Amino acid sequence: MNTLIAIAGIGIVAMIADILRIRKIIFPVAMAGLAIAAFTAVSDWNTNTRYFNDMMFFDNYAAAFSLLIVVIAIIWFVMAVPDLKTGNHYSDKSALVAFSLAGSVVMVSFSNLAMLFLGIEILSVSLYVLAASNKNNLLSNEAGFKYFIMGAFATGIFLFGVALIYGACGTFNLQEINAFVATNKSDLSGQMYTGVLLMIIGLSFKIAAAPFHFWAPDVYEGSPTTITAFMSTIVKVAAFGALYRLMAGCFSQINEWWTTVFIILSVVSMLVGNIMATRQSSFKRLLAFSSISHAGYMLLPLLTLSDLTGTSLLLYGAAYAFASIGIFSLVSVMSENDDESIDSLNGFAKSHPIKAILFSVLLLSLAGIPPLAGFMGKYYAFYAALKSGNTSIVLIAIISSLIGVYYYLQVIIAMYKPTGHTSASFRFTIYQNIVLWTCFLITLILGIFPQLIIGWL
Amino acid sequence: MSNYLFYILSFLSIFSALMVVLSRKPVHSVLYLIFCFFTIAGHYILLNAQFLAAVHIIVYAGAIMVLFLFVIMLLNLNAETEPHKPLIIKGASVVTGGMLLVVLIATFKSAAMSVSSPEFNSDLGMVESLGKVLYDQYMLPFEVSALLFLSAMVGATMIGKKEI
Repeated sequence: MNTLIAIAGIGIVAMIADILRIRKIIFPVAMAGLAIAAFTAVSDWNTNTRYFNDMMFFDNYAAAFSLLIVVIAIIWFVMAVPDLKTGNHYSDKSALVAFSLAGSVVMVSFSNLAMLFLGIEILSVSLYVLAASNKNNLLSNEAGFKYFIMGAFATGIFLFGVALIYGACGTFNLQEINAFVATNKSDLSGQMYTGVLLMIIGLSFKIAAAPFHFWAPDVYEGSPTTITAFMSTIVKVAAFGALYRLMAGCFSQINEWWTTVFIILSVVSMLVGNIMATRQSSFKRLLAFSSISHAGYMLLPLLTLSDLTGTSLLLYGAAYAFASIGIFSLVSVMSENDDESIDSLNGFAKSHPIKAILFSVLLLSLAGIPPLAGFMGKYYAFYAALKSGNTSIVLIAIISSLIGVYYYLQVIIAMYKPTGHTSASFRFTIYQNIVLWTCFLITLILGIFPQLIIGWL
Repeated sequence: MSNYLFYILSFLSIFSALMVVLSRKPVHSVLYLIFCFFTIAGHYILLNAQFLAAVHIIVYAGAIMVLFLFVIMLLNLNAETEPHKPLIIKGASVVTGGMLLVVLIATFKSAAMSVSSPEFNSDLGMVESLGKVLYDQYMLPFEVSALLFLSAMVGATMIGKKEI
């Protein structure tokens, strides 16, 4: 709860900073606010407080997911601040980012479906605008518009699901719905099932799982690079936190039924994401498809609900998000040259030998090579799926992650190729260097000591 | 009496909703949509939710639809400029939409409202009882929705501002 207040406070300060002509304080205030938010998330550990008639429930999962989101947000802010400062609307953009962070904190700590809906909407409405924030660029306009229209549909479908569930059990409260499902397990009305299905569809849109992924490549490619980094990391972690909370807290009694839905979503996402990614020439588009495939891997732990589900989701989310943000700091440098194709990376290793190694490590972590964080994330995800007896699904996951290695290696090879044409210059600011080294260190540490996350929950 | 009213209203709302999709001219679609909103407001009155019905008419039919009409007239949309989708997309959308329809019909055929209807209370849908729920039990969602509107407002001004 205090986390939410701190983050909303950043948004309000950032919003009025432009009027008061104190734009300089936005970055320090955001850093301080996020540090306070991280501290309050830690202090919520083991308190299990329910707020305001059980609207929000800060259990350990909520605290852990909030902490992860806040830490990613700190790194994201450091990465994005040069870009935000140079463009117009610095204060508006920062305010929108802070509000969407508040939405994501609501999404991982809700205890009432009304709160979940509000969280999703706060997150999305800010993002629709942020996706279109590069107003002079047609692609950015298209991205914002597409995201808005598709997102509105997804919200409508999600809300329809909530309404059906309310009709079936007469409450929005997670605990009460869970109790209702448990007592009426044998003769649940069809309404309940359709409601759950529609809610899953609405949330799979947010996590960009196939076959609800059609917006993702265009939106990721068209949005300003820093916003793409935000969408593919924080939004994904928050949406998975919400999905886990909803499924484990509410519908764990009928999990044999919705497991089938998740198996289909997961398999289709892994295959579509990985196969389509091999055919891309734009680095940003490649990352968009790779984020679809990662949504598929992250659905694997949800196939069985055990103690491991939440922790492996958290580990996978952390591994994926930190590696992605590091890689996006490279993409944001590339977008300054207006060339985001993979070929434009040729000669990168010659001009920046150390950075080439760091980026290769981050890419290999996404591909799932030991001993990096991405490998541990995949290991626990596959292990959780194996325990549920879905051996064939894990086989498909392994095959598709092999395809993944292929296209991540393509990027690395492009970096180590000698320059073909006049080599583009890559100018890294101090902020991007900090982000790169932090992400690299976190990826290494989480890969070697996954207990840092696994052992806690 | 109210049974007949329900069927008439339902028929009208389904008919007008279909016409929103089917009519070729965007202005006609908007007018049918306004009509649809009025019939739904009628449903709210049948359900003893007078306040909701009034708000629905004021906000949707009054404010939002007027905005829609403005936009359509300003953009000068008409039947000729409407892009035509290829046949395969039309076919795919009919199939998927039909599948959703089948699922929903099956759902509502077997629907059992487990919530017992409370004793009839004509004050249930008035502002007073709504306010009691909103400012007591649903205090936090009410406050958090302020964040939603704030972000929508900041976003709208940002999109609308002139680039310097």
